[in-house]
Amino acid sequence: MPEGILCNKKMVDTKEQLDALLADAGGAQYYKEMKQLDVDSDALWVTIQKSLKSRLKTWLEICAHCGMCAESCFYYTANNRDPRQVPSYKIQSTLGELVKRKGKVDNTFMQVCMDTAFSKCSCCTRCGVYCPFGIDMGVMFGYLRGLLFSQGFTPWEMKIGTGMHRIYKAQMDVTTEDWLDTCEWMAEEWEEEYPGLKIPVDKENADILYTVNAREPKHYPQDIAEAAVLFHLAGENWTVPSEGWEETSLAMFAGDWAACKMQVENVYAAMDRLKPKRMVVTECGHAYRATVIEGPYWAGLKSGQPPVESFHYVEWVAEALRTGKLKIDPSKKIKEPVTYQDSCNYIRNAGLADIPREIMSYIAEDFREMTPNREHNFCCGGGGGLNGIGRYREARNIGMKVKRDQILATGAKLVIAPCHNCWDAIRDMEEIYHMGIKWSFLKPILIKMVEVPEHLKPRDEG
Amino acid sequence: MFKKILFATTASPSCDHAARVAFDMAKRYGSELTVFHVLGIPSRGFSQFVKDVRTGETVSYNDDYLEWVKEEIKNTYAKQLKMHENCTIEALTGIPHTEILRAARKEDADLIVMGSTTREENEGTYTYRNIAGSTLQTVTKAARCPVLVIGRPAASFWGGFSDIVFGTDFSRAADSAFMFAYKVAKTLGCKLHLFHACDISGVHAGKLLEQYEIEDNLRIAREKIRKMYVPRMKGFDDYEIDVWEGIPYVEIVKYTRERSADLIVMAHHTREPSPEKALLGSTLEQVVLRATCPVASVNRPDKVIDL
Ligand code: SF4
Ligand code: SF4
Ligand code: SF4
Repeated sequence: MPEGILCNKKMVDTKEQLDALLADAGGAQYYKEMKQLDVDSDALWVTIQKSLKSRLKTWLEICAHCGMCAESCFYYTANNRDPRQVPSYKIQSTLGELVKRKGKVDNTFMQVCMDTAFSKCSCCTRCGVYCPFGIDMGVMFGYLRGLLFSQGFTPWEMKIGTGMHRIYKAQMDVTTEDWLDTCEWMAEEWEEEYPGLKIPVDKENADILYTVNAREPKHYPQDIAEAAVLFHLAGENWTVPSEGWEETSLAMFAGDWAACKMQVENVYAAMDRLKPKRMVVTECGHAYRATVIEGPYWAGLKSGQPPVESFHYVEWVAEALRTGKLKIDPSKKIKEPVTYQDSCNYIRNAGLADIPREIMSYIAEDFREMTPNREHNFCCGGGGGLNGIGRYREARNIGMKVKRDQILATGAKLVIAPCHNCWDAIRDMEEIYHMGIKWSFLKPILIKMVEVPEHLKPRDEG
Repeated sequence: MFKKILFATTASPSCDHAARVAFDMAKRYGSELTVFHVLGIPSRGFSQFVKDVRTGETVSYNDDYLEWVKEEIKNTYAKQLKMHENCTIEALTGIPHTEILRAARKEDADLIVMGSTTREENEGTYTYRNIAGSTLQTVTKAARCPVLVIGRPAASFWGGFSDIVFGTDFSRAADSAFMFAYKVAKTLGCKLHLFHACDISGVHAGKLLEQYEIEDNLRIAREKIRKMYVPRMKGFDDYEIDVWEGIPYVEIVKYTRERSADLIVMAHHTREPSPEKALLGSTLEQVVLRATCPVASVNRPDKVIDL
């Protein structure tokens, strides 16, 4: 049963293993080893029998092959209606076969499954809305990814990502020290313009526990500063946890369910320890889904709810604007045509469709809807981890054409995307297709237009 | 005076002049020098690919590549490195301005030295300037320590500083810039030129000034300099005060040339938070583009106080 040094069925639990993976440029050795990797059919079948619950089983069985899901999938339309991109075909030819053959499949088949699960489906769950039986490929492919992961068939970056979660409790190598240092740094840097600005750490019983995406301390620390400024101006009693600050879950994209559990329990532990009134997640879609929607199940919470009531950032913004905690200077509203990217992960998973429209009504003069929108919105093309995987970059770029055309049709010059993944995908889209648009999170836009209360202004100069 | 210098470089020819100044200064003032290079921008979320800062190409980032880049930097600065051994080379991936500021903070640098491409000189187009607005813009605005920017080929450093021009707009940030200019002048025995340009471009005022109004303004500004800065230069008398009228950046550059000064000190003071709009918009950046000597941007008192 040959297992590679890098590509194998083992979990990445040590820094040495992680470094070895990182040292493999582009995953060349990893994918070479994958070609030799044996499939443990017995183990696979045992896992399937244990984990394939009635819902998924029924879904596989009742699919009527009616093809009504075809048009719903952006991969299908972006690829000239290629029949191999029909959702039901994609899942029946992979997971369906796997179950039918009772796990007796070979290496080549597993690689086909991996390629399909990661380059033909972003787990956006749009097809589920259109199937008369509610069959949801996003959920099915998520499950398939888990089976693949247990057998070592996962993209190189995914293996690295889960390793990061297992070692650093974050999707990137950000240590507790790095995190705290970044918070301190950002408070220092912005304090001059916003006197009294603090980023309180581990404050107990705060009204808001704020948690982020590891990319923020790693590459975009100003995002943390901007959140701090807005909380400060809104007069919130808030805090960040020293441990359990990371909301994202590449482990969820990879199907490493044990790491998902570890990751989310870390956040829940912070809630238990600090007893905040509620939790607010930064502008990230999959982080919200991982911690607020799926997390409780991974952590085995009977209530199906996180220990503390949890909100997406858009919910906090809408509330702050509605209640007047944040006041917009009307002359600074966005004048140019602007559109909004509904993130699948909190549109279809949590129904947060009205909230962003409410926000736009406060901040934009010329808001333009994409068509279709809300629960029917298309994935940006970068969901399900597809943004970060080199092997499937081309497929992703093709998939992005749907969102590109949607955006262009609005005539908007600015796209607001309160989701790190969507933001990245739109940026890439602009780089590849030169659409002449800009894109932004909510925070920097709000900072430019909110009124600073008199007592919080910096003292006059000169 | 400059114990720790952080030289932030793209390691491309556009930084050659800055490199000369950084190494010369480090040698002359016995400073520890860190040659700091952000080699790639990790733009793909958790992806392991980065965009090479110099070529704009996507490369797979790992230790080998990192070593190769460091080797490249060593070769680029081989001559200088031989002359000045108290030097560390660091390279990493990230968003350039974030990593430069983070490193300066971590190392407690007294001075950041940076290059800046001028418009004519478009080599290394995919340099720091193009990324996330402007690296220069963000670093000069946010850095706790002075930032020395070298914009043009002629802006080299021959034999230390002798004449320093302090250009003021009387803002609070300019206060820190003054302290820096004064302390450098005093410590290194330079002549200090306290300079203000009354803006008569009319753009801001929306009206043209009468000659007598201009003259009034000049007198008031001169008085202001005398009141604000002179009392703080205890016992130091090698200074002169000048107030000209015109477009501030043009006047500062002209004045500097006329006095054959070799360092301009200013605050990078702008309330415009959008790097796109402020790109090349501020007086400081215009001065950087045009001056034939290094320009120090000082916005904060932190590192200036204990100089
Ligand atoms: S979940 Fe989304 S990407 Fe996947 S098959 Fe369905 S519509 Fe297509
Ligand atoms: S719409 Fe539903 S039932 Fe019809 S083919 Fe698609 S998955 Fe099967
Ligand atoms: S990246 Fe954005 S649009 Fe795409 S699946 Fe995720 S949330 Fe949806």
